[in-house]
Parts: sequence; structure tokens; C-alpha cells
Amino acid sequence: MNEEKRKILDMLAQGKITVDEADRLLAAIGADTPGTPAGASGRPAWKYLRVQIEPGPGSESGDRVNIRVPYKLIKAGLKFASFIPREAQIKVNEALREKGMDFDLSKISFGDLEEIVANLDDMTVEVDGQDKVRIFCE
Amino acid sequence: MVPLVMRLMVRPKQGRGFNLWLPVILIWVLVAALLLLLLPFVLLAALLTWRSGPGKGLLLIYPLMGGVLWNLAGLHVEVTSEESEILFDFR
Repeated sequence: MNEEKRKILDMLAQGKITVDEADRLLAAIGADTPGTPAGASGRPAWKYLRVQIEPGPGSESGDRVNIRVPYKLIKAGLKFASFIPREAQIKVNEALREKGMDFDLSKISFGDLEEIVANLDDMTVEVDGQDKVRIFCE
Repeated sequence: MVPLVMRLMVRPKQGRGFNLWLPVILIWVLVAALLLLLLPFVLLAALLTWRSGPGKGLLLIYPLMGGVLWNLAGLHVEVTSEESEILFDFR
């Protein structure tokens, strides 16, 4: 805990400031307050997206994959989403609708994507099949 | 930060492989020179297609590519199969 954060919490404990004032001060110094969602301060709680594939017990192949993608690279790559042609978006929407998902890609803005990616810190996907697939953030 | 070094390793299970540490900063210089050479053509294409739509997108390509290249540091891909092991890592 840094010095400024400690002082604010001390003042709160001594009753010199209210909870709201402490919250505002903590936000001003850039400290994440409890309950603040990851990414709300502009910094995600994770640095890398990891994808690991390992052979499962019944797997015939011994293939292993270990990928680490920096958050900043994903964020930079997301900006290319604006290059998806309108025709491709329509086709994707139709394919999703066929699968029962009424979803419109054009309604997702870059800000929405960025927010989703920034809040992936608690996400872990584990698939146990012939191969063990694990996707998580660290 | 822009990656300065890339490690590329290919190690077959049989035979000799290689393990290279490439100073990618030199590649970025070449890429920058190439992009600079292509800039007049990109600007011309953007101007010609401005009304029909893709012109604005063409102008964005340079900063977007710069953003991707700048943030490649930390990318690590490692694939191991029964025949070989391939790794590339930007630092």
C-alpha cells in the first residue's frame, strides 16, 4: 500500500473524512477501490492472455501449444475490427441467427470490445476432452 | 514498448534445428522505410476511394499497424508436436 493511500485510509478511520470523500480521493490518486471493476481505472488487472493446450489422458497426439498474448497487443488489434466489411458483418449476423443467437455485430462499438477485454481478468475457460484446453488471463 | 529482439527456435525431433535471436529493430527500420515508400500510393488510393468509403480506413492503416508492431513485445508462441518444437518470442 502506498503512502497516499494509507493517509487517506487513516483520515477515514479517524473520521476526518467521509466514505464518499475517501472514495473520491482514492480515485483521484488512481488507486483501485474495493468494488471497482477491473479496467474502470483504465488499467486492466491482467497483462497477458494465455492459451494452453496439452494432451489429455486419452489423447493420441502429443501436441502442446502455449501462447501468451499481451493485453496491449489485443487492444491494438481490436482497432482493426473497424475494417470488417459490412457484408461480412451481415453474414456473421445471419450465421449467429441460424444458431439461435440474435446478435448484431454492428451494434458493438470499439469501447464495448475494449471494456470486455479489460474485464477478462477473472475469466478461465477449461475444456477437458482428448486435449486439455485452458484459456486464462494473468 | 517496441520489441527489440525476436527469438525464433525450430527444433525437429530428428535432425538439427536452429535457435535464432534476431534484432528485430533492424527489421522495423526496413518496414518503416517500406511504409514510407508506399505512403504516396496509399494517400492516392485513399483520395480516390474517399467518397466510396474505404478511403478513411486506408488512412488509419498506418497508425493501426504501428500500434500492433509497437505492442508485440511479450508475445510468446510455443508449439510442440511429435515431429518438432517451434517457438517465437518477442522481447
